[in-house]
Amino acid sequence: MTKKNNSMLSAAEIREKQLQMLYKILPIVSVILLIGLWLLASSGGSGFPSPAEVWDKTIQLFVKPVKKLSLIGHVGVSLRRIGLALLFDWTAGIAFGVLIGWYPKAKALLGPMFNAFRAVPPLAWIPLITLWFGIGEFPKVLIVIFGSLASIVVNVQAGMSNVEKMYLDVGTVFNATPSQRLLKIAIPSALDAIFAGVRTSTSAAWMVVLAAEMLGANAGIGFLISRGMDSLDMPLVLTGMVAIGIVGAILAIVTQFAERMICPWTRRKKSF
Amino acid sequence: MDEKKKIILKLENICQSYVVKDGVKDAVDNVSFEIYDNEFLVLLGPGHCGKTVLMNLIAGLETPVGGKIYLDGEEIHGSDRRIGMVFQSLNLMPWRTVMANVEFGLEISGVKKDERRKVAQKYIDLVGLTGFENSYPHELSGGMKQRVGIARAYTNNPEILLMDEPFGQLDAQTRYAMEEEVLRIWEQEKRTIIFVTNNIEEAVFLADRIVLLSKCPATVKQIYDLKDLPRPRNMTDTEFLRIRSEVSENTDLAL
Repeated sequence: MTKKNNSMLSAAEIREKQLQMLYKILPIVSVILLIGLWLLASSGGSGFPSPAEVWDKTIQLFVKPVKKLSLIGHVGVSLRRIGLALLFDWTAGIAFGVLIGWYPKAKALLGPMFNAFRAVPPLAWIPLITLWFGIGEFPKVLIVIFGSLASIVVNVQAGMSNVEKMYLDVGTVFNATPSQRLLKIAIPSALDAIFAGVRTSTSAAWMVVLAAEMLGANAGIGFLISRGMDSLDMPLVLTGMVAIGIVGAILAIVTQFAERMICPWTRRKKSF
Repeated sequence: MDEKKKIILKLENICQSYVVKDGVKDAVDNVSFEIYDNEFLVLLGPGHCGKTVLMNLIAGLETPVGGKIYLDGEEIHGSDRRIGMVFQSLNLMPWRTVMANVEFGLEISGVKKDERRKVAQKYIDLVGLTGFENSYPHELSGGMKQRVGIARAYTNNPEILLMDEPFGQLDAQTRYAMEEEVLRIWEQEKRTIIFVTNNIEEAVFLADRIVLLSKCPATVKQIYDLKDLPRPRNMTDTEFLRIRSEVSENTDLAL
């Protein structure tokens, strides 16, 4: 009986190993497929730059910087803009989300105002913001805030208004004060929703900063792309796009890692 | 009345009803009974008969539409620190470790960290979870989670412990083991326990007295005194089986 069990176990182990192997190979196949499609698209004089051209461009950007900044420098300028915007999102935005998610009266009063605000695309603000604040760093950060604030507020608000009653009941039985109910029960139980907001606001900020930079800036990754467009330098455009993809992926991994560090109890959930 | 029969909790004409879509639904109808100090009282009744409602009323999670609840001779309104609760659905906070869950009540009461660690550790040891202090609830089995719930309720040192069908979701073997555990803990740390169940065998195994409730709306159908049935009880004992079938014949069927 034990022997049979053992052989069954090893068969199961083999199957498990094969499955794990397959899941390691598939992402590599995906990348190879992408490069293959890219090569295919760039062949035959379509004007679409080949991977080799993009690679050369990347090297060139380090040797001969555009506007005194290398590729890394331009990425850094964009990251600084979203960093400042996210700092605001993650403080004021979370606080506002808690306010309208936890206090129904605040939601009734401020909710409609917020919904009207978030219905307006951030780029629609550009004329007014430029009129008021000119073309410095602050207006760009402001546009990024306008474009990413809603996603964190909505997530936090949802988490705070869906706190399970059973956790609050525990607080009631132990005679918790209103502030203890908020700080020790509601906010911790909404942490995973708050982190969902952190993730979506980060990716939203990254999208918006590029759009804002393409419309008027003299540094940043969005600026590189619009410069490429103006000078019909398609390899430069594509280099910018590749950089956007890589940085976006790194940001996603970093926020996911932070979530795992801060909320160790959510480890059981598999997330991608 | 001798000293052993000191009344600690008294329910007087408790009524509870709810406004539902097509009118008013009565859940509890004029329930009165008394609970003695340090006794193990079981509230037995068919499913959905208002047992949990009664528990919520005693715990202060709901306010009755009629009637009064007295604790140590004084009327109470809302939740009271002297009453602790072990919840049916566990209600452990997934973001807190076993230790942090157990010390939650003390944290709410503003007890200093060193002190509450010490008290929480005592009850973690008592329920047999030594070594699991830093585990998260999702890493524990059903029986272990229920032990955390019991330790959490004990840690605040309540006079009365409410247990709302705590073992309803456990498999049969774990359930028998936990029934013996809860008696061991109760004998070691005497408190007044009000235990809700719809399982007649469990009721006869645990109770000093059984308050049998009718089907909805809940009324007190009969009170059985089992003080004379010696402990530890054996579920296959003839006297045990006699009482069990006596209670069984008197119990309403859940619809």
